[in-house]
Amino acid sequence: MDLLVQLAQGFIGIFKAGADWWWAVFVGIVPLVVVLMTAFNAIIAWIGTERIDNFGKFASQEGIIFLPFRYLLLPVVAVFVLTNPMAYTMGRFLPEKYKPAFYDAAVSFVHPPLGILPHVNPGELFVWAGIATGVATGYGDAAVTDLAVRYLLVGLVVILIRGIVTERLTAMMWKKAAA
Amino acid sequence: MEALTSFLTRFGRIMGGLVGTMFQAGRESVDQVWKNILPFLAFVAVVVGIMNGTGLGTWIAQLLAPLAGSIWGLLLLSLIIGLPVLSPLLGPGAVIAQIIGTLLGTLFASKALPLSAALPALFAINPQVGCDFIPVGLALGEAEPETVEVGVPAVLFSRLITGPIAVVLAFLASLGM
Repeated sequence: MDLLVQLAQGFIGIFKAGADWWWAVFVGIVPLVVVLMTAFNAIIAWIGTERIDNFGKFASQEGIIFLPFRYLLLPVVAVFVLTNPMAYTMGRFLPEKYKPAFYDAAVSFVHPPLGILPHVNPGELFVWAGIATGVATGYGDAAVTDLAVRYLLVGLVVILIRGIVTERLTAMMWKKAAA
Repeated sequence: MEALTSFLTRFGRIMGGLVGTMFQAGRESVDQVWKNILPFLAFVAVVVGIMNGTGLGTWIAQLLAPLAGSIWGLLLLSLIIGLPVLSPLLGPGAVIAQIIGTLLGTLFASKALPLSAALPALFAINPQVGCDFIPVGLALGEAEPETVEVGVPAVLFSRLITGPIAVVLAFLASLGM
């Protein structure tokens, strides 16, 4: 009988460990995410999509000068306003040869802002929050904010680099495919 | 009197619009939490429960700790996850990245990993982002079939280069944390 009780305790213990984790995350993260998301959803509704379309047309032009527009500003604005996955529809304003590079830059920006702008991709929040909750427990909330800002800033540099590298690779492969 | 009424009407309409937008925004965010965040939390809670309750988590964490604890290990991790054969398989729903992230999170919680490893880790677990979605993403951008044919390998190979670059940048950016 004692053995049975012990077995049952071990069995329930597994799920209790899961429940403790679920509760800690639910209380620790969800309220802030809901409030932030509500604020940003409202801001986006006020901006409206026509204005974003106009910006898309402007930012999609050819030439090296427009490189930071194509692979930095446009993906950032698209992800902020249209969120994952509708952000990729902004690619329609670009010439064909730039579309893969734009997609690469835009899709790489759906996680770095999650610490500050969770509305861009709430379904994949834990790419950020998995590590962030651990950091909060071990090193405190101030460290999490620091981490969130750095994640966003490094993300900006990374998407620009991705856009440039992928644009080059696309051009190379296009030549090969044509030959 | 007429001016006042028209002012009040306009004021009322604007306020109504504002409140309506805010309420709709709130409904959307609660919907998202309900439909996307909570189900994922429930699923991960079961995984975390099994990991923490059986000690399996400690074992896997011990396996991951040396990999996540040094810049070389993180670079290796980003290279493996970014391999053009693996990246489209690891992409869907970012499930793998989210689970590895949560496991690594437990290591930060216990201070088994230094704070300075957090930023490079965020990039090391994610070089495959969107690799499963390239044809759909390009189609959303109204790309021609030929563009998709060239674009898929271009993005996949680009990740092999930019994945490790991102980890190095993150490593440099976390100096002084």
